[in-house]
Amino acid sequence: MSYRIAVDIGGTFTDIVCLEEETGALIEEKAHTTPENFADGVINAVAKTGVDLSETAYFVHGTTVVINAVTERKGAKTALVTTKGFRDALEIGRANRPDLYNYFYKKPEPFVPRYLRFEVDERLNYKGEVLKELSEEDVVEVAKKIKKENVDAVAVCLLHSYANPRHEQMVGEILARELPGVEITISSDLIKEWREYERSSTTVLNAYVKPAAARYLDRLKMRLGEMNLYIEPHAMLSNGGTATFARAKEVPINLIESGPVGGVIGAAALGKIIGEDNIITFDIGGTTAKTSLINKGEVKITTDYKLEWTPKFAGYPVKMPIVDIIEIGAGGGSIAWIDEVGVLKVGPQSAGAVPGPACYGLGGTNPTLTDANLIAGRIDPDSFLGGEFKIKRELAEKAMEPIARHFGISIEEAALGVIKIANNNMLNALKLISVRRGYDPRDFVMVAMGGNGAVHGPFLASELKVGKLIVPNMPATFSAWGMLMTDLRQDFVQTQIMPVDGCDLKRVNEIYREMEEEALAIYQKQGISPEDVIFVKTADLRYIGQEHTVRTPVGSGEVREEDLSEIRKAFDRLHHQHYTFSLEHAPAEFVNFNLTAFGTVKKPEIKKMPPAGALEAAVKGERIIDFDEQGRLKSRVYDRTKLGPGHVIEGPAAVEESKSVTIVYPGQTLEVDEYGNLIIHTGV
Amino acid sequence: MKESLKIQERAYKKGQVDPFTRENIAQGLIAAAEEMFYTWGRTSQSTIIYEVLDYSCGLTDAKGNLIGQANGVTGFMGAITFSVASVLEKFGPENLKPGDIILTNDPYTGSGTHLCDVSAVLPIFYKGELVAFAANKGHWNEIGGKNLGSWSTNATEIYQEGLQFPVIKVYDEGKLNEAVRDMIAANCRTPDMTLGDLYAQTASLRIAEKRVLELFDRYGRDAVLESIDWILENGRKLALKELAKMPKGTFEADSYIDAQANNVENVYIKAKVTITDDSFIIDLTESGDQVPAPINCTKYGAYSAGRIIYHALVNPDAEPNEGFYSPVKVITREGSVFNAVRPAPVSTNWEATSHITDLVAKALAPAIPERITAGHFLSIIGTILAGIDDKTKQPFVLCEPQAGGWGAGYNKDGESGLVAIADGETFVIPAEVAEYKYPIIVEQFAFNLNTGAGKFRGGCGLIRDYRLLNSNAELTTIVSRHQFPPWGFAGGKDGSPNIVEVHPADGSEPVVGATFSNYPMRKGDLVRFISGCGGGYGDPLERPVEKVLRDVKDEIITAEEAERDYGVIIDKETLTVDEEKTKKLRVERSRRG
Repeated sequence: MSYRIAVDIGGTFTDIVCLEEETGALIEEKAHTTPENFADGVINAVAKTGVDLSETAYFVHGTTVVINAVTERKGAKTALVTTKGFRDALEIGRANRPDLYNYFYKKPEPFVPRYLRFEVDERLNYKGEVLKELSEEDVVEVAKKIKKENVDAVAVCLLHSYANPRHEQMVGEILARELPGVEITISSDLIKEWREYERSSTTVLNAYVKPAAARYLDRLKMRLGEMNLYIEPHAMLSNGGTATFARAKEVPINLIESGPVGGVIGAAALGKIIGEDNIITFDIGGTTAKTSLINKGEVKITTDYKLEWTPKFAGYPVKMPIVDIIEIGAGGGSIAWIDEVGVLKVGPQSAGAVPGPACYGLGGTNPTLTDANLIAGRIDPDSFLGGEFKIKRELAEKAMEPIARHFGISIEEAALGVIKIANNNMLNALKLISVRRGYDPRDFVMVAMGGNGAVHGPFLASELKVGKLIVPNMPATFSAWGMLMTDLRQDFVQTQIMPVDGCDLKRVNEIYREMEEEALAIYQKQGISPEDVIFVKTADLRYIGQEHTVRTPVGSGEVREEDLSEIRKAFDRLHHQHYTFSLEHAPAEFVNFNLTAFGTVKKPEIKKMPPAGALEAAVKGERIIDFDEQGRLKSRVYDRTKLGPGHVIEGPAAVEESKSVTIVYPGQTLEVDEYGNLIIHTGV
Repeated sequence: MKESLKIQERAYKKGQVDPFTRENIAQGLIAAAEEMFYTWGRTSQSTIIYEVLDYSCGLTDAKGNLIGQANGVTGFMGAITFSVASVLEKFGPENLKPGDIILTNDPYTGSGTHLCDVSAVLPIFYKGELVAFAANKGHWNEIGGKNLGSWSTNATEIYQEGLQFPVIKVYDEGKLNEAVRDMIAANCRTPDMTLGDLYAQTASLRIAEKRVLELFDRYGRDAVLESIDWILENGRKLALKELAKMPKGTFEADSYIDAQANNVENVYIKAKVTITDDSFIIDLTESGDQVPAPINCTKYGAYSAGRIIYHALVNPDAEPNEGFYSPVKVITREGSVFNAVRPAPVSTNWEATSHITDLVAKALAPAIPERITAGHFLSIIGTILAGIDDKTKQPFVLCEPQAGGWGAGYNKDGESGLVAIADGETFVIPAEVAEYKYPIIVEQFAFNLNTGAGKFRGGCGLIRDYRLLNSNAELTTIVSRHQFPPWGFAGGKDGSPNIVEVHPADGSEPVVGATFSNYPMRKGDLVRFISGCGGGYGDPLERPVEKVLRDVKDEIITAEEAERDYGVIIDKETLTVDEEKTKKLRVERSRRG
C-alpha cells in the first residue's frame, strides 16, 4: 500500500488527508495546531491517522511558519546592503498615505532598522551598464560593520540589479566569505523585476524568515524521518506549486501564503476531473472568507501582493507570484456589532476558536455569524461537527438579544440581519475577484469549501448569478486534499522593456532560454527529469505610456516574428477584458518576460463512487429553516454519507456531514455526481 | 410547479426596507464609486492618474448631495459636490438626458482647483427619472496653456493656464461632441494622451452608472432612494456625535504663504475656527488679498480644504458624504487669496488650500492634541522637469509631488517620508523607473535629518537628487514653508523648511530658492529637493533616554545634538548614556526653563 499525504496547518487545527493510492480511500484527521512548535501538531496529526510513513509516495505540507515569523516579528536580526544614496529607501517606501485623513497614520515599520542598513559605493544604469565599479574593499568594510552587529541574515538589493546582477552577486559572495554562518539573500536571486523598494522589501522579508524557515523545515524533516518517512517531503508554495523542503529553504518567502492556496489548487484539479475549467472558489472558515478565480483551468497569480495591507495601511510588498486570493474578515466566528451611528456590522473581529461563537458555551458572549446561522435553523445544534460537539441555541439567542433590542425586532429577524450583512460582505469579495477583474460570473461555477462554505455558498451563487455550485467531498479539509493534486512550480520574471514592433527577438528568446536553464537546474536538484518539466511562457505588456501591465500568453517554443502579431492581438483582447477598452493602433511594449516551469509529478487517480441506494434512506429528518426573503420553510435534512451518484434533491433542504452542512434554497436543485460531489443548480 | 428563486425580482416599497437591506444598498453605492475609481486608475495612460492617483470618483443624489466618494488624494474632497452643483445650475435637471456627460474644469464655478483637474459628470436615469449623478475629477497631464504640463509657477492670469471647459456637454445623449474633441486635440501638446484621459475617465463613469442601475433593478427605486437618504442622515448623526466631544469656542492661527512665486511678498493668512454643537465654521476673511501668482485658490478650493481638515479632525474613518460634511462652513472674502476672482491665476492653488488645512490644524492643536499632530512639510513640492530627449527627440515631462516629514503627536514620533495632506494614496516614482523614463540619474533618495525636537520628535523630510543627463531641460517647482518651518507644539520644536537647490555641473555655488519657473538646467546640473522635517510634540527633555540613544545609533541625530536638543549625554564610541550627567543636565535645563 502506498499513500499520498497532505498536512495543512490552520489557525486552530492542523488537517491531514491521506489518500491510499490503489483504493482511492481517504483518511482525514485533525489535531490541534501547536503554535509554540508547529512540528508537534504535524506529528500528532500524522500519528492520529495510524499511517505507516515508510509507505508514503508523496508528502506535502502547507505551513504557516513563514507568515507567523513575520506577523509575530520573530524573524532574524537582518541587515540590508544597498546602493550609495539609498540607505533610507526601504523606510521611505513609496511614501503613500492610504489613510487619507488620518494625521496619526503610521507607515509600515521597516524590518531592518536604520543602523543595520548599509551602503556600498557602486552604480548601474537601467540598461545594466556599470557607471561606478564595485570595490571589494568597500564591501569588506561593510561586512566588518555588519559583523559587529551579530546579525543572522543579510539582504542585498542594489539599484538596477534586475538588468545586471553582477554587482549583487559579488557583494553576496564577499559577504558569504566574510560572514560565515549568516544567511545571505540577494535580490536578483529572487526576482529580476524593476522597482527598488518593492524588490528590497521582498529581499529583506526573505532574509528575515530564512533562518526560522530552515530550522523548522529541518526539524520537521528529521522528525518525519524518525517516523520512517524516506522520501523528500514537499512544501506548498504560495504560487500554487510545491518544492522540496531543500528548495523551499532557499526561498522561504515563497511559503508566505502556503496554507490558503491548497483549496484553490484543489478546485482546479477537481474542475479537471469533472470538466469545469472556469471556477470561483469560495472558502469560509472560522475567521475569514477567501475567494479566488480559475480562468480556463488556470489559477490566477498575482505579483502585487502586499503583506499586512489594508485599504488604510500600505503594507509590505512581496513581489513573488502568489495565488490571487481575496480574503475578508467574514467567517463563522465573525462578531456582529453595532457601529457608532447604529448600523449593524459583521466582522472583521472574530471570536476565534476560543471562546468561539456564543453557542459553543465556552464563555463567548458576542453574537457571531455561526450563532445567527444556528438561530435561522441553517445549522443543527445536534449534528454540529458530527454531533461530537454540542452547541446551544439558547446561548446564541442570548447573545443576539442586544441586536434585536437595538432595532426593535425579534431575535430571529436580528439573526437574519446578521446573515444578510455577512452575505453582502462575502458577495462584495466575490465581485472583487470576478466582476471587477472583468469576468462575468455567469461563465463560472463556484466551488464551496471550508466548514461554512456550503452554508452561504448556495445563496451567494444565486446572487452572483452563478449557475452551478459544487460542494466537494470533505469540504472542511478540502484545502489539504488540494495539496495532493499539485505539481512542482517555479516562476521567473525578467524585466526588459522593449517595443513589440521591432523587438529584439534574439534577446527575447535568450531571456526565456536563460530562465528555462535556471529552472531545469533547480529541478535537477529536486530529482525531476527534464522531460517532466513543462514551461509556460507569458509576457507583461502595456501600451506605451501606461504603467500597469497585462500578463499575456506567449506560445511555447521559440518566439518567431510571426508570433508577435498573435501576442499583440492577445494583449489587446485581454486589455479590453480587464479595462473595457483596447488601443489596437497605439504602440505597445514588453515590460517583463515570465516563465513558469511546472515539474509534473504523478497524481492520484480519483475513483468514481458506486451507485447509491434509495434516496429515502439518506433522509435524517425535517426541520424549519429560515430562508429570509423566501420564508421559514419546512426542509428535509439528508445525511451526506448516505447520498450517492444519481440522487437528486429539491430545495428547500439541508445536507449534513461531519464537519459541514449544505443549505439548498427553494428553487435550487441538488444532484450528486459520480464522484460524490454535490452539484447545486441555482436556477439563475 | 417548481418554485423559482424570487430574490432577484423583489422590489421594496417605500418604508418597507429593513435596516440590513438598506445597509447593503449603501455598501453597493459606495462599491460603485470605488469601482469607478479602480477602473479609471487601471485604464489611464497618464502617470499622474495611475501612479500619483491624482483623481477621485463619487456619486451624488439627484440634487447633488454627495453619497459616497473614492479618493486617491484628499485635494478633491469637495470636487464632486461642487462640480455636480455647477452642472445643475447651468443646465437644470430638465436639460439633462441619459448618456450626457458634462465636462468642467472651471475653478470659479465649482470644479474648484485648477484647469488641469477636469471634472466629468454623468446624470443617471432610472426609468426616465433623474436619480443620481456619477462624477469624477482628475488631473490631466496636459491641457494646453503657456507651459508644457499646463500648470506653472509664474502665470499672472488664468488664460495662461490652459484650455477652459465651462461646464459643457462632451457627450450629448451618448454621442461624442466631435467639435469639443477636436478643440481639445488642437489645444493640447499631447493630444493622444489627453484624449486617452478623457476616454478612460468617461468610461469609468459608465461603469458606475451600470452598477447604480443594477441596484435599482435589484431592490427597486424606493429602496435605493431611501437608502441614500439614510446614508446622509447617518453621516450627519456621526458628525454631531463627534462635535459633541470637541471643545466649543473660537480658535485662531495665522501664518504666511511664503512660496515667493513671481516675487510676490509673503501672503498673510489667518483662520478663525468656531466649533459649536452642530457647526464647524472656518472664517478666513482676515487673510490677505489675491496675488498675481498662481498660489491663489477659489472659494470652492477653500470649501474643499475646509472639508479635508474637518474630516481629519472630526473622524478620519468617516465615509465622505454630504451628511457628514453638513456642519462645515467656510467663510471667505471675495478677492482674497482664498477666494480669488477671475482672471486670477490658480494653477498652484494647492499652496493656498494646503495652508487652510494647516491653519485650522494649528489653531486647534493645543485644544485637541489627541486629534491632530504637529505641522508637517505641507507644500506638495509640485515639480516638473521637462525637455526634449536628446536621444529620442521626443518631449519628456517628469511631473510629480515630493514626500516629506510629518509632525509628532501626543503619542508618536512624526512619520518620515510621507506625502503631504493634499496628496494621499500617492506613490513616489521608483528611481529605477524614473531613470528609464527620463534622462536623469537619481543620485540620492535619503532622509533629511533636521527633525523638530520634542518628547516625540518630528519625522524626517527627504532629500532627492536628480542629475540631468540630457543636454538641457527646464525645471519648474514651487514650495512654501520655505521661511516658516512646520510648527511644533506643546513644547515641541519647529521642524525644518522646504528648500530646492540647483547645483551647477561646474561646481559653482548652488542656486537656492522656493520657486523655480522654467529654470534652465544643463547636462550635469543637479537639482536637490529638500523637504522639511515635521515639528515636535512636547518638551524634548522629556524624551525617554533610550529613544534618544536609539536615534543616535540610527544616526538620525548626532551625539552633539542629543546633548544640545535633548540633554542626553552619549559616548559616541561606545554608544552608552552617561545616566548621571544626563539626569543632572536635564534637571538643570528644565529649571532654567
